Amino acid sequence: MTSANPETRASHEPRRILAMGGGGFTMPEQDHSDALDRLVLELTGKEVPRVCFLPTASGDPREHVTRFHERFGQWPCEPSILSLFHLGRDRIDPIEHILAQDALYVGGGSMRNMLAIWREHGIDDAMRTAWERGIVLAGLSAGAMCWFEGGVSMSGGQPEVVHGIGLLPGSLTVHRDGEPERFPVYQEAVATGRLPVGFAADDCSAVVYHGTRLAECVASRPGARVMRIQPNGNGGVVEIEQKVRQLPHATGARVALERAAEDSWAVSEMRALRAGRHRWD
Amino acid sequence: MELRPRQIVAFGGGGFSMEWGNTLLDDFVVGLTAAERPKVCFLPTASGDADHYVVRFYRAFSSDCCEPSHISLFRRETGVGDPRAHLLAQDVIYVGGGSLVSLLGTWRAHGIDEILREAWEAGVILCGGSAGALCWFDSALSGFHEGPERQIEGLGLLPSSCAVHYTEEKGRREGFLEAIADGMPAGYGVGDSAALHFVGTELAEVVASRPKASASFVSRTRDGVVVERELGVRYLGVSALEELDDATPIAA
Repeated sequence: MTSANPETRASHEPRRILAMGGGGFTMPEQDHSDALDRLVLELTGKEVPRVCFLPTASGDPREHVTRFHERFGQWPCEPSILSLFHLGRDRIDPIEHILAQDALYVGGGSMRNMLAIWREHGIDDAMRTAWERGIVLAGLSAGAMCWFEGGVSMSGGQPEVVHGIGLLPGSLTVHRDGEPERFPVYQEAVATGRLPVGFAADDCSAVVYHGTRLAECVASRPGARVMRIQPNGNGGVVEIEQKVRQLPHATGARVALERAAEDSWAVSEMRALRAGRHRWD
Repeated sequence: MELRPRQIVAFGGGGFSMEWGNTLLDDFVVGLTAAERPKVCFLPTASGDADHYVVRFYRAFSSDCCEPSHISLFRRETGVGDPRAHLLAQDVIYVGGGSLVSLLGTWRAHGIDEILREAWEAGVILCGGSAGALCWFDSALSGFHEGPERQIEGLGLLPSSCAVHYTEEKGRREGFLEAIADGMPAGYGVGDSAALHFVGTELAEVVASRPKASASFVSRTRDGVVVERELGVRYLGVSALEELDDATPIAA
């Protein structure tokens, strides 16, 4: 995979993070494009990147694993899954596996659970090492906010401030348009200084970081926005809309073909088998 | 209200998730409650709240005989709003199997570890198999789900150690004997279909859903010798001898 956009590659700074407000293969109803997923691979700068999906935050559900293989199986890459619920079955050393990748793709779900489980396995430290080595860190929702100092998560049932692992300065809130109940909690947290200045990202939008600097905002759907949120000094916030680059829909036709094929029992059966090594007991 | 004793039933393997059709262990636990329609809450955390596991729970604990519920810690925005109030109102809390490490991490992140201790002290019966059995002990030997076997600190309600699938899974017994030799607290090696019933922190008895199920107590003497003592097991079904004596066949 080569990157068409010079913004997504920079020379000496190897650290890359792609944090999505929502979208990608786990949210097909909101995101009809595969552009954000493709960008994960492009950011690696590799011809055939190794990309590993971590569905920890949602408890490693089978359908996410299947969808990951469906999406990434069509591209030149080496896709794999890291299930922290099945380390014994998969015979994987999680840290070793993480550090052998070109990109790590972290799914959404409960940020609180994900970070607690990561800590138990030492994954949080491995993520920092991976990032410093130039392994692309990507993800949506919980898998996007986790890279920042904090965000607003539904992990406890109601929207609340949750701290991340803090590779990136500032904060992030996600699904600004799709789950609007988070946003007021975020605005309040930034206004009072509970969370540092940051971004509110719509579904299908994402922020791309080179090192700890924002390189650009991107979107896989027209109209998806990213807002910068900062305190206004009077107990409220200022919202500044960010410039967003629309990602091209190059493989739209292929996606339509895939959708049509999904009706076929044989195809879905084959896919289930392909993903079947991650089945539950 | 009468003070209820603290009770834990730890399966070495078995119950609805492993022995579909054999309800002896699950029936035993439900029978320990005094309730006519006991409230049973399932915690599928160790499986990552796997949907199919939750569905199987509701099939096994149907609303005909009890009041079933579950709490998903991965989808807190749905279902039970106040886990503490809900858990304390139960007769039985049933913990599913899976990854012990992920189970404990997730529980601690939500304060469920403290709530379970409270529930236990209030007389809510705690039970479960595999990870759902190991979690109650001071230390546990994990295996299958965690990569290489290692010693894991559990909730510590029971001041001993535990290993599950003791004789059925390769390496479990050997690993346990070795860990006890290396200084892990003395404890129980529990086989599939066997269950330890604790009243307070004392083992009351070992029950089983199959006649051949076994359990052992493993300890280390002062001079470092590991002693493994097989425990008496009460089979909960009708034994072959009883069946011979009985003129009318018992429904399976």
